[in-house]
Amino acid sequence: MIEFEGAEVRYPGGVRALQGVDLRIDDGELIVVVGLSGAGKSTLIRAINGLVPLTSGRVTVGERTLPGLDRRALRELRAQVGMIFQSFNLVSRSTVLNNVLMGRLHHVPLWRSLSGLYRAQDRELAMEALELVEIVEKAYVRAGNLSGGQQQRVGIARALAQQPSVLLADEPVASLDPPTSHVVMRYLQQINRELGITTLINLHFLDLARAYADRVIGLRDGRLVYDGPAAQADEAVFEEIYGRSLTADDVLEGQGGL
Amino acid sequence: MSGEASVDRERGRTEPAGRQVRPRKPPPQPFTILGLAGLVAFTLVTAWDWALGIGFDPLALPGELADSNPAMVEGLFNVTDADWRAQYVELLRTHFTDPDSPWPLSLDSRIGGGLVETVQIAVLATIVGAALSLPLAVLNARLGAPDRVTHAVVKALNNVNRAIPDVIWAALFVVLVGVGALPGILALTMFTIGVVVKLTSDVVDGIDRGPIEAARAAGASHAAAMRTALVPQILPAYASFSLYAFELNLRGAAVLGFVGAGGIGQAMSYYWSQLDFEAVSVIVFVYLVLVVVVEQVSISIRRRLG
Amino acid sequence: MTRASVRGSGARAAAQVRPERPFARFRWTVTVVLLALLAWSTWSVDATWGRLLQAPGRAVGFVGTLVETASLEPLGVALEAMWESIAIAWIATLLGAALSFPLVFLAAANLTRSRVRQPVRQVLNVFRAIPEIVLAIALIPFLGLGPVTGAVAMGISSIGTLGKLSAEIVESIDDGPLQAVEASGGGRLERLRWAVLPQAMPEIAAFWLYRFEINIRVSAVLGVIGIGGIGGFIAQAVERNVFERIGLGLLVVILATMLVDAISSRLRRRLIEGPSPAAQARRERASTGGGPTGDDAA
Ligand SMILES: Nc1ncnc2c1ncn2[C@@H]1O[C@H](COP(=O)(O)OP(=O)(O)OP(=O)(O)O)[C@@H](O)[C@H]1O
Ligand SMILES: [Mg+2]
Repeated sequence: MIEFEGAEVRYPGGVRALQGVDLRIDDGELIVVVGLSGAGKSTLIRAINGLVPLTSGRVTVGERTLPGLDRRALRELRAQVGMIFQSFNLVSRSTVLNNVLMGRLHHVPLWRSLSGLYRAQDRELAMEALELVEIVEKAYVRAGNLSGGQQQRVGIARALAQQPSVLLADEPVASLDPPTSHVVMRYLQQINRELGITTLINLHFLDLARAYADRVIGLRDGRLVYDGPAAQADEAVFEEIYGRSLTADDVLEGQGGL
Repeated sequence: MSGEASVDRERGRTEPAGRQVRPRKPPPQPFTILGLAGLVAFTLVTAWDWALGIGFDPLALPGELADSNPAMVEGLFNVTDADWRAQYVELLRTHFTDPDSPWPLSLDSRIGGGLVETVQIAVLATIVGAALSLPLAVLNARLGAPDRVTHAVVKALNNVNRAIPDVIWAALFVVLVGVGALPGILALTMFTIGVVVKLTSDVVDGIDRGPIEAARAAGASHAAAMRTALVPQILPAYASFSLYAFELNLRGAAVLGFVGAGGIGQAMSYYWSQLDFEAVSVIVFVYLVLVVVVEQVSISIRRRLG
Repeated sequence: MTRASVRGSGARAAAQVRPERPFARFRWTVTVVLLALLAWSTWSVDATWGRLLQAPGRAVGFVGTLVETASLEPLGVALEAMWESIAIAWIATLLGAALSFPLVFLAAANLTRSRVRQPVRQVLNVFRAIPEIVLAIALIPFLGLGPVTGAVAMGISSIGTLGKLSAEIVESIDDGPLQAVEASGGGRLERLRWAVLPQAMPEIAAFWLYRFEINIRVSAVLGVIGIGGIGGFIAQAVERNVFERIGLGLLVVILATMLVDAISSRLRRRLIEGPSPAAQARRERASTGGGPTGDDAA
């Protein structure tokens, strides 16, 4: 379970990226967070694993509550929360397998990660994670040689190798073309259903949000302005969240051409 | 430049006059004026023949280089200039100008041994120094160091290391471990660390930070994150700089012998003191061939790494 | 919360074939070659490795003596020697820059055809290979044993590196201006003046300064054969066990080198990045005389 209580984030420049957010997420939910650029979506997601510290309020993830964790406890929390990035954040010169093994770093003794001599069980977990996103045949290929969609699947596998109970994805399809976006979204949905991992995804395409989410959360200027089932999030709701009428840029299918 | 000016003029004609103001040519920047004045003054001070200068006269230089100086030769080597000329200038002339002149490639054991030792010193210093440099290079970059204090300490120590010339390191190590190849190896190890750490850590600033964020988000410790997300990115540059350090070490190893730290310099300074110019030129020639060959190999490997 | 496996659906996994771990040939070759070189050098080099163990103890004693005998009395001589090293390095840098400059353009692939370029490059390579000390020794009969010898030796041996790296800078310039000058009827020299130099000169000058930093270290090296400067000062002090001179000499060389590095690297950054935006704005205000600025000045 994840719970925000009066969460606030104020960046050094004075921007209030989160303001008084109260939010409760149950285990196994698939939630899509929507909002205009700058609404605070990334900030909300990064507050969960402590990449962005709260300036007031609290976030509870499982048994741990931020802020107030020491470095060790924070790393334990992060190990339990997998993260997927818009730009994949793979080490392009390392093999796919070595990238996925980065998901095991918290569980591996330092001498093993420094020497690259991972245990057989960690390799097995990494391979299974790759099988889950159906890209195991690329295990020994350099990550930089893969296509964008393949790289994002490796990014998902890296997060899965952590054996997380929560998965965070910050605009996971924003760098991909429409068909590949659906492929990646389907993997995230399957993982949520089959492994029961609580999943939060930032998106700005409302058709993707409606197609894959159980529940949609809308942010505007750092405030929670919508929280409800995906089925009820119709165009009027999105116009309310965005504070303007919708355009072709707001739907993935409108992105054709090019 | 002239093209741009004419375009401006044409546009000026179609626009209503008076809307645009032609700027005056800006005065030269203070940096330019002060910089140039400073450089000229510094050059005059250092070149002039007085207490603060070395007495460098570019106009007299060609004349001086055209012929050896009898007084100098006699004072230095205690032989008449005529003998000296017979031995040194003639030797240089025939060996460098006469294509038929055979090189006296009579490598005696002093020379051969000195060359081998030079290579060994360079190899050991490069491998040991480069191995120590990788972690130090990570700590020497702000992004790579776990905290500010570590970063500041490592950086300061390496700046001190780099400020001490290799031959001074060699002289100091001769005091600590006695004469021979060992002080040479230690001195060039310090030199290798200075070069490789500096160059490699400069690369760290330009890397992709995304993977490091990903490692942090997975709960990795700082050391593990650096090893898996940062080191693979700097590895090609690091390997290339290490090879470059090997080239420098091979060249730098020539001087070590002059302070008792082994290598080909020992043979060079020995024959020089014996006035055996033939041997000296053999050493110089063979050594140059060695340096050029190694450098070409190293450059071709570095190109493949890049 | 932790699961033993991330395996979701067994069916999907079964349909895929895990690849064999490929043999990392390049990595193994490098490792084996390096280990072989290391082993050969370690066993056969004439080094008394056991002395390494005494070194820390001796170093402590050595530093202790340095501290005990610390004295500012030879400061004047040390500073003079350091200044001489800096002067030698500066003259050498100017000499190297002047001698290499014409060669730069002959060695650049975008300006000179290969029949001329290749020989020039080879000449530069030879200059790069010759160690400064060898050149200095060869020059002694002509110039004597003094700072000028050092400056000339270092100047000549700088030609190689300066020429090669400056040529690489010239090769990396934008091709557009070259074509523009050519298109407006400019000849070879016009191209140099208006297309090549404006683009390449700041970086080349910055590289000269960098070479100056290196030459300060090299001039210390040449000190040991007696051309003067701080290197000879320290080497002689070490040879004769004059501890107050060793300590002070080291202090002077470290501080002076770091100071010159700091100044030089600031100048280099300023050369390459140009004036700070604030300074630029101040200048622009001055040059338009406070009058209205063209709003389409883009
Ligand atoms: N590190 C930072 N320092 C200062 N301000 C920041 C920082 N990161 C984000 N902000 C500001 O905080 C606000 C929220 O940013 P956030 O990245 O959470 O938005 P977002 O909804 O993810 O937008 P996008 O769709 O563009 O990714 C924005 O106004 C942004 O400019
Ligand atoms: Mg964002």
